[in-house]
Amino acid sequence: MGAMIAEPSAPAAAPVAAATTEPVVTVDGLNHFYGEGAARNQVLFDNRIEVPPGDLVVMTGPSGAGKTTLLTLIGALRSVQQGRIEVLGRDLSRLSPHGLVEIRREIGFVFQMHNLFDALSAYENVKMAMQLGHQRPDQMRRRGSEILERLGLGHRIDYKPRHLSGGERQRVAIARALVNGPRLVLADEPTAALDRDSTRKVIDLFKAMTIEHDAAIIMVTHDYRIIESADRLVHMVDGRIVSDVVLHDAMRICEFLRAIDLFRTLTPTQLTDVAEKMKKRQYAAGETIIREGEPGEEFFLISDGEVDVVRADHEVARLGRGDFFGEVALISGEPRNATVLATEPLDAFVLGKTDFQSAIETSAPFRDQLYRVYFSRH
Amino acid sequence: MAVAFPLAGRTRAHPVPLAWRTITANRWRLARSSAGIGFAVLLMLAQLGFENAFFNASLQVLRALDGDIFLQSVHKYQFATQDPLPISLLATARAVPGVASAAPLYADWYDLFWKSPRDGKSYLVRGFAFDPKTPVFTLPDVNAGSAQLQTPGAVLTDRRARRFLGMDQDARQSEINGVKVEIVGQFALGPDFVSDGTVMMSPATFASLMHGAAGNPPGIALGVIKLASGADPNTVLKALRKALPTDIAVMTKDRLIAFERAFQADVSSAGPIFAIGTIVGFVVGMLISYQITFTEVSDQLPQYATLKAIGYPTGYLMRVVLEQAALNAAAGWIPAWLLSLGLYRLIGYIALLPMRMSPGITFISLGLTLGMCLLSAVIAVGRVIRADPAAVF
Repeated sequence: MGAMIAEPSAPAAAPVAAATTEPVVTVDGLNHFYGEGAARNQVLFDNRIEVPPGDLVVMTGPSGAGKTTLLTLIGALRSVQQGRIEVLGRDLSRLSPHGLVEIRREIGFVFQMHNLFDALSAYENVKMAMQLGHQRPDQMRRRGSEILERLGLGHRIDYKPRHLSGGERQRVAIARALVNGPRLVLADEPTAALDRDSTRKVIDLFKAMTIEHDAAIIMVTHDYRIIESADRLVHMVDGRIVSDVVLHDAMRICEFLRAIDLFRTLTPTQLTDVAEKMKKRQYAAGETIIREGEPGEEFFLISDGEVDVVRADHEVARLGRGDFFGEVALISGEPRNATVLATEPLDAFVLGKTDFQSAIETSAPFRDQLYRVYFSRH
Repeated sequence: MAVAFPLAGRTRAHPVPLAWRTITANRWRLARSSAGIGFAVLLMLAQLGFENAFFNASLQVLRALDGDIFLQSVHKYQFATQDPLPISLLATARAVPGVASAAPLYADWYDLFWKSPRDGKSYLVRGFAFDPKTPVFTLPDVNAGSAQLQTPGAVLTDRRARRFLGMDQDARQSEINGVKVEIVGQFALGPDFVSDGTVMMSPATFASLMHGAAGNPPGIALGVIKLASGADPNTVLKALRKALPTDIAVMTKDRLIAFERAFQADVSSAGPIFAIGTIVGFVVGMLISYQITFTEVSDQLPQYATLKAIGYPTGYLMRVVLEQAALNAAAGWIPAWLLSLGLYRLIGYIALLPMRMSPGITFISLGLTLGMCLLSAVIAVGRVIRADPAAVF
């Protein structure tokens, strides 16, 4: 039981020792139906999933696949009909309605609709959640401000929702979900309303929750920026979990490469080879990535962000997500013919010269495609 | 370790005042709901004020009587009925130990026609007569003018009588039942729901107006008894009952007033009429307040469902809705109460009714307002109870 008592101190601040690897969520043989009698319609079929502490699980799948239903069942918002769900060590089907209300207080919910109270300030909306937790009243203001600041809302703490943008409102709702340091977070499209910058802040906070606080996060999303940070990818179709894969960096890169035209011709094996040799690298806004005249050593693929390509002080191109650069010098062996600057925080996958050349040699179609781009740019 | 209620224990310090914030966030909406509920409250206050004024008007003559114990016919069901008693009773009463004085009050409601100096027409008025040497009223103007009533044909008139009687005018003379009367002074009493105005005179004048010049008064309406100092009212009361015939009712002043009030409230149709008026105001208020609460609840339903989803019990949400209803009640009641003070003055001025705000009216109207708002909130809160937290995902 001890592990279930929420940390009274600021939960996100102090890393919690992984005292237990007991799953935070265990779903077994879960069926679910909507409607009754002749209109009874099965929406979940024999679902099973186990989520250990510290996992960021992303659920994908077409709409109507049952993702949200599964999420509401795990969140104790619906009663279990058939099968077993254990959350934080408690069997949901055995809990009284009161017990269900109690366990919901230990879960952080991020809904698609932010549903903030218009009459309450951002801080007060967050405080509504803190009142359910174990935060001492004299610490609430500090704790509430801290989490809002972390989400880039430090200057909006006492604003009412109608004076906030859609993205800001959504971040207040995320603050409300995370402020008590829950050991389980359930989120449904949490970044749908967010711009790139806020999305990054939100992902950072989610990641921090899993790393520092050992929280498990289950999230329904189609946002590639989150998928890239996920530890697991669960895919649902027609009420069934059709795939449940643990992602490591290479696989995550692979998922990304697959969606890009240039790599489409590679076989899965070749794609995995390339992905395994790629490294993720981050650049700050304004940083020079390659400089005109220097020898070319690496090939770059933009995962997130934008760059300016500058030749003789003139901007010649602006490249974004899925675009690549640096291949010209590697193919021709000449020095860099342009300078590339990050215009905003940039995530890139980087491939070294030798790995790049071996990749070209393993696949003729890949080489042809690359050369076509090369000549069109030259 | 289970937290039974979200605001229990340490977090009780300063919980977010959700109901207060919700009510005050939108000033325009607050003004509208305050006006709507206030309107219903004003309806109720008007009814309660009328009822109070009605009773006060009927009772103020009795309140103005200067005596400790009163004698009247046991057959009377209200003060304003003719059932005269022989004056000889007073002599019997005077003989009872502890009685300091026993004075007669003659009264008539149905036989005196006053010619209005305003339009020359004759109107029925109420007449009181008493021995000018033993005044029976506490009204200062009456007692000051009583010496002049010795003159035959002299009367005092009520300057607060209904205006068509013309008693507020400067006329020195008029006629009652076709006989000239001299107006020697005025007093302030006001009409009630039986009489439009009052004249006061000596028993001799009274008799001459009723039965011609040589007539005697028909009998007394009320015997007004004062106790000797130190006499015990109960002892004297018992002694009087023993000494007097059984068809004489012997009452203290409180009892006399209670007798009259009981008639007005229970026997006359006035009590139920005002009660129904108040109920109509209450129902109108409930409908308005239900509409307000229903809209407030509907607008915030996703938020309430969210609170349920994150672990607030339904009881908390019900409390928030009821708090909102109570705040709406206060927001409607306060301005309506203040407005009613002006309304009472206006009605009092126009209708010459003693419309007065009293602690009774204040508390009853506040209670009714809270009742109607909370009752309607109880009906509207069903939506919150049924709100499905799973629907917010």
